[in-house]
Amino acid sequence: MNLNYEHLPVIIVALLLLAAFLEPIVYRHKKSWAAPLVIASMAFFALSSLYLMAAVNYHGPFNYYLGGWAPPFGIELEIDYLAVFLLLTFSVIGLIAIVYGLQDLKHGLKDEVLGWYFTLYLLLMASMAGISVTNDLFNMYVFVEISAISACAIISIKESRECIEASLKYLILSTLGSGCILLATAMLYMITGHLNIGYLNDVLPRVMSHYPNNILISLGFFVVGYGVKAALFPLHVWLPDAHTAAPSPSSAVLSGLVIKVYAAAFLKVFLKAYPREIFLEIPVMEIVLFLSVLAILYGSIVAMVQEDIKKMLAYSSIAQIGYVFLGFSLMGQRAVAGGLLHIFNHAMMKSMLFLAAGIIIYSTGIRRIRDMKGLGVKLPLTMGAFTIGALSMVGIPGTNGFISKWQLALGALDLGRPIIVVVILLSSLLNCLYYMPIVINAFFGVKGEPELEIGKVPGVMLYSILFLGFGIIFFGIYPAPLLAFLQKTVTAIL
Amino acid sequence: MEVLSKLFNNYYYFAAIILFIIGFHTMLTHANLIKKIIGMNIMETAAFLIFVSIGYIEGGRAPILDEGFDQIYMNPLPQALILTGIVVAVSVTAYALSLIIKLYQHYGTVDADEIARIRSYKP
Amino acid sequence: MYWQAIIPLWVVLFPIFMTPAIFILSKRSEKLRDGLSVLTAVITFFSVASLYPFVMEGKTIEYTLFQILPELGVTVRIDILSFCLAILSSFVWMMATIYSLDYMKPEHGKNRYYPVLIFTLGATLGIFFAGDFFTLYVFFELMSLVSYVLVIHEETPTALKAGYKYLIMTIIGGLALFFAIIATFELAGSVSLSKGVLVSKPSTLAFFAFVCYLIGFGMKAGMFPLHVWLPEAHPVAPSPASALLSGIMLKTGAYGMLRVLFYVFNIEVVQSARWDLLVAVLAVITILLGSAVALTQFDLKRRLAYSSIGQMGYVLLGMILFTEQGLVGDIFHIFSHAFMKSTLFLAAGAIIWKTGLRNINDLAGIGRKMPFTMGAFTIAALAMIGIPPLNGFLSKWTLSLGALEAGLPIYVVILLISSLLNGLYYLPIIIAAFFGGEEQEHAHGEAQHVEAGINLRGEATAKMVIPMVILGLGCFFLGLFPSNIAYELSLKAAVFLFRGGM
Repeated sequence: MNLNYEHLPVIIVALLLLAAFLEPIVYRHKKSWAAPLVIASMAFFALSSLYLMAAVNYHGPFNYYLGGWAPPFGIELEIDYLAVFLLLTFSVIGLIAIVYGLQDLKHGLKDEVLGWYFTLYLLLMASMAGISVTNDLFNMYVFVEISAISACAIISIKESRECIEASLKYLILSTLGSGCILLATAMLYMITGHLNIGYLNDVLPRVMSHYPNNILISLGFFVVGYGVKAALFPLHVWLPDAHTAAPSPSSAVLSGLVIKVYAAAFLKVFLKAYPREIFLEIPVMEIVLFLSVLAILYGSIVAMVQEDIKKMLAYSSIAQIGYVFLGFSLMGQRAVAGGLLHIFNHAMMKSMLFLAAGIIIYSTGIRRIRDMKGLGVKLPLTMGAFTIGALSMVGIPGTNGFISKWQLALGALDLGRPIIVVVILLSSLLNCLYYMPIVINAFFGVKGEPELEIGKVPGVMLYSILFLGFGIIFFGIYPAPLLAFLQKTVTAIL
Repeated sequence: MEVLSKLFNNYYYFAAIILFIIGFHTMLTHANLIKKIIGMNIMETAAFLIFVSIGYIEGGRAPILDEGFDQIYMNPLPQALILTGIVVAVSVTAYALSLIIKLYQHYGTVDADEIARIRSYKP
Repeated sequence: MYWQAIIPLWVVLFPIFMTPAIFILSKRSEKLRDGLSVLTAVITFFSVASLYPFVMEGKTIEYTLFQILPELGVTVRIDILSFCLAILSSFVWMMATIYSLDYMKPEHGKNRYYPVLIFTLGATLGIFFAGDFFTLYVFFELMSLVSYVLVIHEETPTALKAGYKYLIMTIIGGLALFFAIIATFELAGSVSLSKGVLVSKPSTLAFFAFVCYLIGFGMKAGMFPLHVWLPEAHPVAPSPASALLSGIMLKTGAYGMLRVLFYVFNIEVVQSARWDLLVAVLAVITILLGSAVALTQFDLKRRLAYSSIGQMGYVLLGMILFTEQGLVGDIFHIFSHAFMKSTLFLAAGAIIWKTGLRNINDLAGIGRKMPFTMGAFTIAALAMIGIPPLNGFLSKWTLSLGALEAGLPIYVVILLISSLLNGLYYLPIIIAAFFGGEEQEHAHGEAQHVEAGINLRGEATAKMVIPMVILGLGCFFLGLFPSNIAYELSLKAAVFLFRGGM
């Protein structure tokens, strides 16, 4: 049993936290080491996630008792397929975003707060890693709070008025969500005496007939709580401002990863903690399904009328998180796998789009979509990558967006719900209506040299979005291993 | 009658729910940002109360094992957890207040409606 | 495994991989770029042609390259039907590429045009050599999206507007296809072309799948009421691209529908559920509407585009006759129309290139100045009307026989009405071109051509005339005897489809 990778999940979280608190000190005394430190921590995160994935794939999932205390008293980490999948997604995208950010942030942030930015970034990553691996509801709550505060702070760090307002709005709603999550956790603890997800799943079927009200309340509060945090449709109001105001790498991470981690937490709570029979009696998943359908349509329609490119991307995120919830709430094998796949795929697409938008803003200062005419001539690679992202959003075959759409649509058909497929297709069409004009305007219809002031684009920024663009194509053509892995994940969950 | 007695026996749940609703309402409806934060705190307190009350047993004592095993012990876990929760709530409050100070520096008011009015006037 | 198995892969990947090469070379030298484009098209054509003895033996090949999703992969298939379409496409493509050399000289953005042209060739051949509907769909989308660049090549506001319409309609069609394919997959567990009939029981989902196939492929084929993009998009494209859009890319829709009718469903399902009625009604409307509206158009290329809509109606009608004779006529009409319409568009392109005239009323006397161009135009137009011994006559004849065999003489009447309308809108152009009008100076296109150093007198250049004339002669020879190569291929393909297509 001397498998030394067992400690890795704790080490990841602890090391990220340690690095987070070292960062301001390092930045004050040895400025040049700050950036390498954050890159090194993230690289360690990514590499160990990769290693964990390989290990779990080979040896199977394992549980880790924090401090040697076995549950139900101790905190248990469950490193299953889902956890390593999430870890890998977060770490890789997070690494790329911060590599990109090193350049972009120098431009966008005041010099003295850069160290604090790294702190917040690492805190955010640590909390996301924590949410992914923990198997304890209260522990999850703590990590959710850490990620909420650091996510708010990462928005407000620019200290412009918009940022602070957006951040405060986000903070208030997010706290509301946390309160709901805590209350729901309390409800479950009240009737079962457990906070451990595995134990809850064992005990709940026995007690659910005695305490229907508690279960109902907890379900409702969890939906509201995670719904607010993941920006599920009627609870999304904070998202557009927050994701627009944040610096571009933050937007990429917030839109690409942070809302996903709450969706994943939702999945963990609803499909791992609650027994499946509950959903036959209480149609909460039907409600979530309905909300996600509304989210998909609403997000896509509102995105069409946006003028600011980042705001458009933010509204598009609302629609895309709808896909994830759609997959989860259908609760079929293929559908849940599709939702998880979309977490990964959308993380790639949306962070790439935000980073590309970041390059545009960095080098030209243009934020309005209308002004982007002819950008393709000036920034061919950036706009090329943007085009790939846009095509992937529309779901053109050969991009990973197509694969997740296929998987979700097939999942919906498996359960005999062709109308969901229609919704997915409708939203693809809407996506096309707002992404394609940007691409067309950028590349075509410009005679001669457009009159735009173009700053130099640092290579690192360009390479990071090209890398993500390559990933989009790669996972669009060769998603088989990923899907096989997700199949295992879903089989373990359901 | 049964309902009433149930309510009476579980009055702390009842209190928690009332607190939660007060907090929720304050948080969502008041324009004053400070009041919003206060509402937020009330709401969190309600959640803490409900959590702590789960482990509370009338006449129970802290689970320190003594001579004789007929003692009634309270469940210490919720209290330990809520300690963490309170820390989280405090930090959130502190952070929110710092944001409000920043906003006040920008706008000279802590009223959300006023801020919205100033913003819309601005362009 | 036969050595021929590698050919589909080669003809799809070769043009696609040549695209970046052409693009890179275009920075160095224009000559090299042009030469390489033509070379690619020629090599592709001969590679496809090398399959001829193999498919004439009635053999098929199907194999899976790799799996993208479980039960779903990139599959390659060669059979007689795919060969028919592939040989036709690569031939017309070769001609259009050669024609482009001079036509595109005064145009801008040539460094974009050639790579895209060659890439589209690869994607189009990919559609025909796809071994399942998923692969077909992938290449279908690829072709549709990439050809957007061809449509808007001129980048005028009109072109951009038409292109946007084209793009949106393409996406809608693609999404409908997506639904259809996923529903088929759900019903049958596979979308392969080698499983025989995939859906053998009519059901609600199957019906929606059928309708969505019809929307997806019908959109591409310009079927009413989804034809609206066609008369906008085809005229604004550069003429060689229009020739390909009208001559070849419309056929991908027809090809897809053929595959759907014979591989996803079968004749019994479609007939027993009366789904064929839906297609028939739409096809008849398409025929009459295309021909009638063409009469009211006075832009030469727009008239041709509407005529394409009418002609695609024939093809749609032919495939739901469900008789062998009808199917022969149907496939043969795919050949005929590709030859006729590409000739017409190339000729129209030559006229526009030379004189800058697009309006039909100004074309009086043009035949005396450009005898070869107008000669080719005349042959193709007469073929459109269905004058024997041209190929249009042969296809209409066979289609009519098929309709009679199916016991539906009403379709023959519709074909005749449409032929009459074709006569009404093609003959005046020809008559005016050869016999009407006084010599007049056409100053329109002059300035730009003088700059480009092109002789304005008389005919268009040889590189433009020769492909046109070859295609025009094709119209003639493919109709002269009913035992020509295209007819033989159509016959074999029809028999093949009727025997279950295995």
